[in-house]
Amino acid sequence: MIKVSDLQKTYNGVTVLDIPALKIAQGESFGLVGNNGAGKTTFFRLILDLIEPTRGEVMIQNQKVMRNDAWKSTTGSFLDEGFLIDFLNPEEYFKFVGKLHHKSEGDIADFLESMQDFFNGEVLETKKLIRDFSKGNQKKIGIAASLLGDPKILILDEPFTALDPSSQIRLKRFLTDLQTQQNMTMLISSHDLNHITDICSRTVVLEKGQIVKDLQTNSYTLKELENYFAI
Amino acid sequence: MLLFNLLVQDWKKGLRSQGFYKNLAVSFILGIFAMYLAAILLFLGFSLHELLEKIHDNLNPMELFNGIMLYIFLIGLSFRFFMQQLNTFNMASYQTLPIKRATLINFFLLKPLINPINYFLLLVVVPFALQSVMGYYNEWMAFRFVISFVLMSWFNSLMAAFLKRKFGTSLLSFVTVIAILGSISMLEYFQVYSLFHISKSLFGFIVIKPLGLILPLMAVGIAFLLNKWFFSQNYYSEAFNKHTDGDKTYNADLSFLNRFGIVGEIMSLEIKLILRHNRTKSILYMSAFFLLYGLLFYTNPIYTKSSGMLFFVAMFVSGLLMFMFGQWVISWDSSHFDSLMTQNIPIRTYLDANYYLLLVFNVVCFVLTSPYFYFGKQIMYMHLAAFIFNVGVNIYLLLFMSTFNTKRIDLSKSSAMNYQGTTFKSFLIIMPIFFLPMLIVWLLTTFASISVALWTLTLLGTIGILLRNQLITLCVSQFNRRKYALAEGFREI
Repeated sequence: MIKVSDLQKTYNGVTVLDIPALKIAQGESFGLVGNNGAGKTTFFRLILDLIEPTRGEVMIQNQKVMRNDAWKSTTGSFLDEGFLIDFLNPEEYFKFVGKLHHKSEGDIADFLESMQDFFNGEVLETKKLIRDFSKGNQKKIGIAASLLGDPKILILDEPFTALDPSSQIRLKRFLTDLQTQQNMTMLISSHDLNHITDICSRTVVLEKGQIVKDLQTNSYTLKELENYFAI
Repeated sequence: MLLFNLLVQDWKKGLRSQGFYKNLAVSFILGIFAMYLAAILLFLGFSLHELLEKIHDNLNPMELFNGIMLYIFLIGLSFRFFMQQLNTFNMASYQTLPIKRATLINFFLLKPLINPINYFLLLVVVPFALQSVMGYYNEWMAFRFVISFVLMSWFNSLMAAFLKRKFGTSLLSFVTVIAILGSISMLEYFQVYSLFHISKSLFGFIVIKPLGLILPLMAVGIAFLLNKWFFSQNYYSEAFNKHTDGDKTYNADLSFLNRFGIVGEIMSLEIKLILRHNRTKSILYMSAFFLLYGLLFYTNPIYTKSSGMLFFVAMFVSGLLMFMFGQWVISWDSSHFDSLMTQNIPIRTYLDANYYLLLVFNVVCFVLTSPYFYFGKQIMYMHLAAFIFNVGVNIYLLLFMSTFNTKRIDLSKSSAMNYQGTTFKSFLIIMPIFFLPMLIVWLLTTFASISVALWTLTLLGTIGILLRNQLITLCVSQFNRRKYALAEGFREI
């Protein structure tokens, strides 16, 4: 599904990411952990063609992502608030994104209906603009919008931070459902090792831009990760 | 003392803000521009006496000046009402400190008065007072003349802030103000009643009578107290920032754009963007003023002879919105650029949408400026040629060049005179677009004729319109080249 070859990103001579080879299979849930500055967001941005790799390339479904539009129709993503259009209200925003994926008004309404639980009644019909929502609710809007186009690949950067406990649990259940029912490929980063081992079948640890661990999740994974990060 | 401290801190805030040093080149250019303006005003100040002497009536220059004083006052007030930036000193960080609220409020109100922009017109007033008022009367009257002018601008500044806080600058208030100004000048023009005479006797009284200055002083006092009253009514900052947030959602019905598919969706997104942000809205208001730019030139016999200058004005007013927004079409999207780049929007569609938006702007401005045809056939032909040249050449140039503006623009901040996000590059980009056509017209008119010049530009424009697809493709590949630089620049806050 996603193939990374010889990917390198350098800023002023400092290498912030260096991944010689990595393959993510269809339906795999890929968890990314690492301390601040490990290169998690840089990696995601490279996959989404928002920064130019110094060397190497990323392929999605055998197509280069660089300066290409093809992957956009099958990839949903939410990294930070820059992925929202904050002067719209949520309904307008969902409608906008829906139209981009050629959804009808009915499809969009159905989709929002299915999201009601996750939104907890705080997002829709408030007449507020997205920029006036709290960080947590903005995150919910962004995550929902990334799913609106029925993506085959979902990329979320720290989806759990800023969410309240109930929403965290809901989101976790939700992501697991998407994997089992739709066989969606997921790339998720988090600072919470519990969340990652709960939802991801594969966990990769980044440190200073390098992959230092690549684990298939089992009952020992959490312990192993905790030992790794404990100094 | 405390007040002084606050002023110093506010000054430091400006000095230490990120943009200040990075943008030294821009500040430099703006500085030169300010000096140029100052020189013109000073020149006007020294020649005003003679200019007014030449008007044949039985009034002396000061009486004439006093006569238009109320106009200056009204125009100044409405201008400030739309353009003056409300103080956005971060109250919260001071509210919790042991500082008396009254001190904070006083600071809030008085700070705008130390802004040098208030005193720019003194460059005209002081020389005039020295030459003319002192010549006809005495030095005390000259002194009172200047002081009354200063007090008037204080009153304007305070009053504009009050009105703005109280009523906010909506489209409605804009229309209201324009309507009031328009009807006053109509009444004067048709000699129904004359503000000129009221103004003359009012300011005559203020300047000539020794105690006359009490009147403007009282006016300033009242304006100050009105502001105080406003803040006593609205204790919490959330209450008095309400109007300035620009949260008001314009739910303009843009559903007709749906017919144009994704291009239409993006266009309606951009229109919402313009209507929902302070900065873009104030550009719209400013454009309304600029549309009148033609009146300055088309009526002036000096310019009617220089076709290059006239064409520049025709091009400027008939493509006004495009020139105001065009260079920034991509930068406006800076806060949600990542979103647009990862959504299911092909780059070509994105640029197509921006192209059509600029095209619509051009058509709107062309129609709005069509009353200028009244100034004669030559102006009409100029507007037509300018329109075709704008649509066929400038539109692509701006789209192409807009990929060089990589600075994030903070749209939530108003307003006029806000140069955040402007870099040296922005000036370099706009210069050739403005002046090359002017040069072409001037050269061709000198060596051939004005119709040859206009036909040449029309031809260039037509070629551009016919080659639309190829030229957009060029812009797309340019955008793809610059994409990462743009994304990176926009992410830097």
